This record gives sequence, C-alpha cells and structure tokens, in this order.
Amino acid sequence: MNQTVVSYLSQYEFYDIILEAFGNNEGLLAFVIYSLFAVIIVALCATIGGLGTYAERKISADIQQRLGPNRVGPYGILQFLADGVKMMTKEDVMPFTADKMLFYLAPCLALVGVFATLAVLPWSSGFIMADMNVGIFYLIAISSLVGVSVFLGGYASNSKWSMLGGMRGASQIISYEIPVTISILAIVLLAGGMSFGAIVGHQKGLPTNWFIFHNPFAFVAFFVYFIGALAETNRAPFDLPEAESELVSGYHTEYTGMRFGFFALAEYIEVFVVCGVAAALFLGGSNLPFDISFDILPIQLVEVVIFMTKTLLLYYVVIWIRWTFPRLRVDQLMSICWKYLTPIAIVNLCGCAIWLVVFNGRSFAQIVFGGHH
Amino acid sequence: MFAQLLFAMSALLTVGGAIAVVVTKNIMHSCIFLLACLIGVAGLYATLGADFVAVTQIMVYVGGIVILMLFAVMLTGGKDFVSRAQNLLGLAPSMGNKWTFSIAILVSIVFLLTNISLIGNIVRSHAPKTFGNDYPSTVSQIGHLLVKDHVLAFELSSVLLLGALVGAAIIARPRKQ
Amino acid sequence: MTPAHFDGLMPVVIFMALAVILFTGGHFASVLLAPKKPSHGKSTPYECGEIPVGSAWSMFNVRFYVVGLIFIIFDVESVLMFPVASIFRELNDMGQGGYALIIFLSFISVLIEGIAYCWRKGDLDWVKSFQVSTKNNKN
Repeated sequence: MNQTVVSYLSQYEFYDIILEAFGNNEGLLAFVIYSLFAVIIVALCATIGGLGTYAERKISADIQQRLGPNRVGPYGILQFLADGVKMMTKEDVMPFTADKMLFYLAPCLALVGVFATLAVLPWSSGFIMADMNVGIFYLIAISSLVGVSVFLGGYASNSKWSMLGGMRGASQIISYEIPVTISILAIVLLAGGMSFGAIVGHQKGLPTNWFIFHNPFAFVAFFVYFIGALAETNRAPFDLPEAESELVSGYHTEYTGMRFGFFALAEYIEVFVVCGVAAALFLGGSNLPFDISFDILPIQLVEVVIFMTKTLLLYYVVIWIRWTFPRLRVDQLMSICWKYLTPIAIVNLCGCAIWLVVFNGRSFAQIVFGGHH
Repeated sequence: MFAQLLFAMSALLTVGGAIAVVVTKNIMHSCIFLLACLIGVAGLYATLGADFVAVTQIMVYVGGIVILMLFAVMLTGGKDFVSRAQNLLGLAPSMGNKWTFSIAILVSIVFLLTNISLIGNIVRSHAPKTFGNDYPSTVSQIGHLLVKDHVLAFELSSVLLLGALVGAAIIARPRKQ
Repeated sequence: MTPAHFDGLMPVVIFMALAVILFTGGHFASVLLAPKKPSHGKSTPYECGEIPVGSAWSMFNVRFYVVGLIFIIFDVESVLMFPVASIFRELNDMGQGGYALIIFLSFISVLIEGIAYCWRKGDLDWVKSFQVSTKNNKN
C-alpha cells in the first residue's frame, strides 16, 4: 500500500490534533476519514451520474436541434432530481415468473462492482482512497462484477427480451475486457508499475510527458482502450444489450422504480470511472502542467479540478459518440472485438515493449527535443 | 481490529457460500453462492498480504469462471434449473446413496487429517510474519520470480494455455449431424 | 496484530458496504413511498402486450460459451503478463532489457498463435462458424 488519503493527511499538523481527540486510536481515525471521503465521493459520483443523464439529454437535444429538458429549474438542470423522486415513488413491479432472489441481487451487485472501483480512482496526488500496488489490475477485476450483474438481471427477469439482452451483455462485456486489459498492459509496461500513483506520477509535467504521446503505439492503445471501454459500459454504438429497437430495453426491461434507477446509476458511474481511468492512464491524470516543489491543500484541490476536467471532457465525447454513430450488429460487434481490437492491442503491447528497450524508456518527445528523464 | 474484521467477513463469506452452494437446489443460485465463496477466498488472500493473488482470484474466477458457468447452465436449458433429487437426510440435492456418502465422508476425514499434519509442521516451523507499514509489493516479487527462476514455467504456461484454447475451440465447435 | 497496511483495504470494504447500504436504503424509501396495487396483468413478463408463451429460460446458443472459453484463456494470459509487464522497465534500467523483451515477446507470440488459430478456423465468426466447420468435416 503506497499512499492513502489517511497517510497523505497525516503529514499535516491538524491530523495529530484530531488523532489525540480520537484517543490515539489510528485504526478508528482511519475508518472515520475513509468513511467520510467515501461518502463524499459517492455523493459526488451520484450527482455526476444524475447530471450525466441531464447532460446526455441536453447534448442529444443540441445535436438533434431540439431544446431538451427545460422545465425543472433553470435550464432544466434539476431534471435529474425530479427523475430520482419519480423513480422512488413508482410502483415496484416484479414478474411473477421471476427468480426473486437474483432479481433483487442483480442491481445490488452492479452497484457494488462499480462503487468498489471508486476506491482506487486517483482524484489527485494526495486524495486517492487507496493507492494499491495492484491498482489498475484490481479495477479491471472488480468491475467484472458488472458483467455478472447484467447477466443475472437478464436471467432473473425471466422475460425473453431481458434474457437475450443479458446474454448479449455478458458476452459483450467479457469479450471487450480483453482488448481493454491488453491496452492497459501496455501502459503498465511503460509506467513500470500497476499502482495509479506510479502511473500518474510518471506523467508529470507538460502534455508531452503523457503516456498517450509517449510513443505511436501508446497513442493507438488509447483509442483501443476507449472503444473497448465504451463497449464494456454498454454505451452506444455498442449498446446492443439494451437496444431499444430490437430488445425493448434489454436486461432491465422488467426493472421498475428504484431498482431500475440503481442499474442506471451504476451504468453512469461506470462511464465516469472508465473516463477517469482513461484520463489517469493516458492523459496525465491529475498532474499540473508545471512542477511545484511545495504541497499544500489548495493545490490538491486544483489537481482534483484538473482530473475532473479531463474526465468530464471524455464523458462529453462518450455522449457525443452515442448520438452520432448508429448501433452495430451483433456479428460486427464480435468481429470488431476479436478481429480488430484484440490483434491491434497485442501489436501495441509488443510495440511498446520494443520501444522501451530500443529507446531505453525515452518518450517520443524526449527523443525529438532531447532531454532525459 | 480491521484485519480481524476483514478475516472474519471473508471466512464467513467463504464458508457460508460453500455451504449454500451444496445446500441450495437451484443451480443458478448455486453459481451465485459460489461467486460469494470465491470473493471470500479473495478476501482471505488479501488478509495474508497476497494482494496480487487476491485480485487474480477475482479477475479469473469471478470475472471469468462464474460467467462461463452461468453460460454453461444456459446451454443446458433445463426447465427451471431446480434439482429434485434429494439425499443426505433430505437436506441437500445430490446424487448417490448411503454408501457413496459414507465413503466420501471417510475420504474427506482422512484428507483433512493428512492436510492438518502436513500444514501443521509448516505453521509451527515458520513464525508468522509481521508486516510493517511498507510491506514489499508482491507484484514485483512475482514478476522477478517469473522472469528469472521460473522462466521455463512461465513460457510453458503459455503453451499450456494455447493447448487449452485449441482444445476448447475444437470441443465447442458445432458439428453437423 | 494490527498491521497498518490492511487499513489500505478499508476503502474497498467501505465502498462495497456503502453500495449495499445505498441499495437497501433506496429500496426501503421506495417501499415507503411507492404505491402498491399488484395485479396479474402488471406482473406478467413484458412481451409487447401478448401473453407470454413458455419460459424465457431456454437453451442458448453454444457461441456464447465459446466466447466465454476464449475469454478465460486470454484472461489468464493477461494475468500472467501483468507482473512481468510491471517489472519490465525495472529490468530495462538494470540492463536486462533484451532478455526481458525476448521472454515477453515469446510469451505473446504463443498468444498470437492461439488467436490466429481460432481466426483461421472460424471460431471468431459469430455467424459463419457452422458453415466453416461443416466444410472442414467433409474434407
């Protein structure tokens, strides 16, 4: 465990004062700090997820020259709160043929899988809940719970639409995990470590130090990752598991009210997490564009803002893609994954390894403009 | 405090999940309890400080094997995936009769005792390690072992996986007739 | 026995617990707020207004299973590559880059062989896998 938010805060004086107030019980204080930050992050992510639905509708309205939601609050910005209240007050309907236990479990599992990924998301150099040694690997592993939940959601409903959507969703999610994992492997190779701290710390300074510009292979790996991530989160043009024109609503056809809301929330937070990972791995994460020798709390907040800006820009691109591209056919989906993305990702991985050895770890910019790390 | 709590939760998840897997009569529920059991095992690895193995457990078993099992169950397409066969005092769905059960119990007791006698020596001879604040990353240790001491095993494992891939593809390939 | 490094795993457990709490809380709120007027028609599975015939739990195509199998092989391969990839740079700095590169590339080349085989034999095709295999059987 390299760094956590607790170990970061413990370098300040006020930490000792608070620690004394807790009777020098470090474990308890750590629990309180973690819980506090966890609640803040979850609240933030839920808001982002909620605003994501609003942004999605507003951006799609812009793209299609409509107005979009504009009734609730200024510019309709409170629409997501109205939606949330509405979901809570909707009747809970469950098909009488459903598998009750799994029907309840599926959205919970999706939520658990997505929330668990938030524990390693690097908000800034100090504010990272747990900078595990296996950071990115853990994130890939735990987010596969979402695949199980999609399948279970489809299975438990015992509706034909749901079942088809669930099967498609699970096979799509596991298929696209391969190119995503291999693209991430290329970055692990370049960074020389799996922890987010090491990966982000390696990209300090100007954008030329970002891994996306490290070498041509990493540049391609970013796009492979991004396309694969779109498919893993069931976003258009890969939204076959919930294709409304053929499968009604896919695996959550039978879900109503709050349980549907949790599925939607998990999906939107997952998109945010995936964009955050892309920003951290390829786009320099929360690094400031210049070196700062001192470290105070406001700078951490600036770093959080930088990270959020990059992530939300990618989020915008995700929505933009959704409303621009038509949906794929299921055989095209599989051939894109196995015949294009996976071979390209493997070539990128080999390319990155060769580049690292041949140019002794220097990036493209360092070779062109000189200088060394 | 937290370490004990984590261990207790993981152990509970593992044992409870394992018992539920054999007791439940619905094969889909069995799969999900197996998922809980495997996550519990990952938690146990984590309490031992083996972070890489813990995450590998989640990655391969939770993300791969369980989904494959669910797919396999869907292949059979049984009417409602509920087993009606009952044995072992009518508690658990199972095959076999009194004889097979008694033999199985005998075998598992022998196996358990052998294991205890084997592992007991190891536990007694090695004092439990106490980690400091910065325990070494198991990832880099595993990596160094893989490329230096066990490089042949590392390379051969890829050949083994190739064999598994080809075998799986051949067996699962649909044939006419 | 309070090794401090376990505290780093605390956020994971806390986040998972938060997810469960949020789920149960939301559920509880909806139980309190939502109306409850169950009827038979409401709780039939949705099939565009038709009365559903049979159960949705039926036999599924073997293709899903094949995809799952191929996925697991690649999954295990990537798991094995992760530790080697994470020390690759370190080895390169130690001057053993060529050795590490050979090991890494020979591992990947076997992976490429696997995917090439499946591609050649049509296991990666979603639609055509039947035709290809029957053609091979005749030969």
